[in-house]
Amino acid sequence: MDYTLEELEEMKQIILIAIPKEISARDFYLNASKKFKTQESIQLFLSLAEQEKGHEASLRKILKDIEENIIKIKNSK
Amino acid sequence: MKLEELSKHNGQNGEKAYVAYKGKVYDVTNSKRWQNGVHMARHRAGEDLTDFLALAPHTDEVLKSFEVVDTLEIDESKTQSSKETLIKFYQKFHPHPVLIHYPLGLFFFAALMQLLFLLTSLSSFELSAIYAFFVATIMAIPAISAGFLSWWINYDKQTTKIFKNKITFSIILVLIGITGIVIRVTNPDISSTNSLAFIIYNVLIFANLPIVLFIAYEGGKITWA
Repeated sequence: MDYTLEELEEMKQIILIAIPKEISARDFYLNASKKFKTQESIQLFLSLAEQEKGHEASLRKILKDIEENIIKIKNSK
Repeated sequence: MKLEELSKHNGQNGEKAYVAYKGKVYDVTNSKRWQNGVHMARHRAGEDLTDFLALAPHTDEVLKSFEVVDTLEIDESKTQSSKETLIKFYQKFHPHPVLIHYPLGLFFFAALMQLLFLLTSLSSFELSAIYAFFVATIMAIPAISAGFLSWWINYDKQTTKIFKNKITFSIILVLIGITGIVIRVTNPDISSTNSLAFIIYNVLIFANLPIVLFIAYEGGKITWA
């Protein structure tokens, strides 16, 4: 799908703002995992933390794609 | 192999399709789920998938059926940078939201005191206004500095609309504050006259309110929107 420059800039801003939220969420679960002693509880929060790490990685990948598209549009003008 | 070399094995144009997971490089060239180096229209060969597997509907068991062809060399200097330390510091103490409330409240307090002075002509209100305005302006500087720190470590100094707005209006806020203080300090009797300086001074005190609100609104969008 073709996006306009304005749409891409808006998408970039949303993704950019979302990344620190994923990092905070990961730290939140990692800290939570330290409060428990049973392996089951620890694994639960570590698994949630891993998922947040995955979200962060996905967002960074999307951000990179958006930035590449922005450069392409700017260069074509 | 290094990440750069791994990226060349993207499964396209006859290249092998390699993916990395937890330091091991797997050859997925012959997998029907990695045709042309693309997996589920989402992941591309030539990448380190360590962080992504937690989101997959399968476990890392699926990788056992593939041959390990190499190990992935991680650049330690990138994983333990000074920025990482600053990020940890920022996430623990979050100085920007901590510091921003003082100037915000004090600018409003200064305007309220000045309004009461204009209504009652009591000099104690006028003095309260300038003291509050002075402290608010001074306190805005560390708050804005912490904002720049947050912008750098959390958002890679990206100049999207929201950050441009916050930076521009924060600078205007401080300039208005300094100008107001200079006018008031260089004209101690300003409040007993109806001079142009008195009018400008009042405009500056009240003009800061929508600016403060706008900056706070933009900050709220980053946090909550």
